Amino acid sequence: MSGVILESVDKSFGDAEVIHGVDLQVEDGEFCVFVGPSGCGKSTLLRMIAGLEDVTGGKIFIGGQDVTRTDPADRGIAMVFQTYALYPHMSVEENMGFGLRMNGVPKDEIAVKVREAAEILRLTELLKRKPKALSGGQRQRVAIGRAIVRGPGVFLFDEPLSNLDAELRVEMRVEISRLHQELGATMIYVTHDQVEAMTLADKIVVLRQGEIEQVGKPMQLYRDPGNAFVGGFIGSPSMNFLEGRIDNGNLHIPALADLVVPLQATAPAGIAGVTVGLRPQNLELDRTDSQLTVELSEMLGGVRYDYLKTSTGERLVVESRDADDADEGGSVGVSFDHSAIQLFHPDSGVRIRLSD
Amino acid sequence: MFPIPIERRSRAVQITYQSLIPLALIMWLLPLIAVALFSIRPLADFTSGNYWGVPSSFELFTNYSRVFFDSDMPRYMLNSVLITVPTVIGAVALSCMTGFALGIYRFRGNLLIFLMFIAGNFVPFQILMVPVRDLTVSAGLYDTKLGLVLFHIAFQTGFCTLFMRNFIRALPYALIEAARVEGVAEWRIFWFVVLPLMKPAIAALAVLIFTFIWNDYFWAIVLTQGPNAQPVTAGITAFNSQFIAQYHLMSAGSIVAAIPPVAMFFLMQRHFIAGLTLGAVK
Ligand SMILES: Nc1ncnc2c1ncn2[C@@H]1O[C@H](COP(=O)(O)OP(=O)(O)OP(=O)(O)O)[C@@H](O)[C@H]1O
Ligand SMILES: [Mg+2]
Repeated sequence: MSGVILESVDKSFGDAEVIHGVDLQVEDGEFCVFVGPSGCGKSTLLRMIAGLEDVTGGKIFIGGQDVTRTDPADRGIAMVFQTYALYPHMSVEENMGFGLRMNGVPKDEIAVKVREAAEILRLTELLKRKPKALSGGQRQRVAIGRAIVRGPGVFLFDEPLSNLDAELRVEMRVEISRLHQELGATMIYVTHDQVEAMTLADKIVVLRQGEIEQVGKPMQLYRDPGNAFVGGFIGSPSMNFLEGRIDNGNLHIPALADLVVPLQATAPAGIAGVTVGLRPQNLELDRTDSQLTVELSEMLGGVRYDYLKTSTGERLVVESRDADDADEGGSVGVSFDHSAIQLFHPDSGVRIRLSD
Repeated sequence: MFPIPIERRSRAVQITYQSLIPLALIMWLLPLIAVALFSIRPLADFTSGNYWGVPSSFELFTNYSRVFFDSDMPRYMLNSVLITVPTVIGAVALSCMTGFALGIYRFRGNLLIFLMFIAGNFVPFQILMVPVRDLTVSAGLYDTKLGLVLFHIAFQTGFCTLFMRNFIRALPYALIEAARVEGVAEWRIFWFVVLPLMKPAIAALAVLIFTFIWNDYFWAIVLTQGPNAQPVTAGITAFNSQFIAQYHLMSAGSIVAAIPPVAMFFLMQRHFIAGLTLGAVK
């Protein structure tokens, strides 16, 4: 049992409060991903779980034990750093076995564990090399190997793939996913790449400015974001946001030639202006219409992204799968299923759910 | 490329450059050349005022063998080694530890302590001459090698700490954190992670301190007298006896005395230069 529980955890650096009352429960064996924009406190939160950063307020439990003031070494965790943090003067083998050697584990036992980990990570041929003679992906694997040999209950990853090129990143992502299935350990993974978050996570935690915006399964966050921030952050390309207005049970969208959408249910009273969220995947180009200008058209092989500008000066991205280009500078319209519309409060960004 | 390589400059510039270089080199090395020349002259040349002309006789072997076999020079050399080597070891070992503590741990007063180490370097050591001498006398360490060693260590550790602390600060802190997460004890982190990575800094500092201490003259004459404790820099003046200054022997002695730091420099050159430029390129 090595779930992780955070209870109203706070963190300040001097006067700057960085983490505000975070409550979170990560189940045993779960793959939990922290996402959020740069500077939102993902690394700080992870480092607090690791014990590398003091907790200003609140409690942290790992495997049911209060570890708020415990040394990192005694928390049953292993951490993979963004910079890998391999010891430059040791070979791959020594790097992976160092922690065990320092804790008095017998030599032959270390050798067995290192060999096992090397096999899982396909590092067997590289065991004698020094880190500087390894590629980025291999170094990353060594860093993970160093975590594995200790057999921890919880793995902590801080943006482990951000120093790799795109292709290698995909490869390593698959590798980490496989590893999680093989080891069945709890993993907490920090990234600002929402594709990594979507593909790896059992549970995504979206953070903004030191607060949790929403927690949920990847598809749950994608389909049903609790606010405009999560809606915009999860999904690629980002959700489109347009200004709208509710009038007599009808939604007016001025950007789309003052489109009027009858609402199925009643909006909460007192709301007039709203933000209309529409995913690029739910929009379709309508070539018979001409209210929108095509600013740019990107062909990515299988899919195409068209960047449109409305007459009100707002911007819109449409994802389509057909191959024929919309000519840049031309005029088109869009059509969509009205049920795909999500409404948000224009100031707070909170989702406006229509009550039946 | 900057500066423009000399081969691509005009002919006139090239000629000026090529003729100025040897000139500058000779100017630079003149004192050394003079000493080397003096060391192969007979004493008679000095009394007759023949400093720069052709030596009246070639006395290389006689002069050097007299330095080695007829004087206290070997003892002075040995003293120098016995003073310099423990000082280098002591100062480097201490500063590795102080540098680690000041570079890695963020405790209250860290900066203050560090500033005190640095501030020590700014005290002109001449004003300490009398108190330090009194201190060594009252401690019973006057005119002993141990006294000189202890004193040198105390004085060099300030600069060494500055050097080591900055070097350790530049190491990736994640290495320390990674080791901590793995449950490695702090002193083992120092010994197994930090120390091996400090090799270039240790080499550079060792050469530097070796040269400083070997060439020290001031403290040698303040704190010691006579062949039982004096290092070679001070011992050389023994050739200046009351009635006659034996310049030829002093020159030969100087050349001999200069060899160890030069040898040390060449032996450690690779590490030394790597150490000094470390952090500049990354
Ligand atoms: N040691 C520190 N002292 C003061 N402020 C800090 C310290 N470490 C982090 N912060 C601040 O805490 C906030 C959160 O930092 P953190 O590194 O956790 O962000 P992050 O979400 O990991 O960002 P990124 O995606 O860029 O890595 C930032 O505003 C940062 O400036
Ligand atoms: Mg970070």
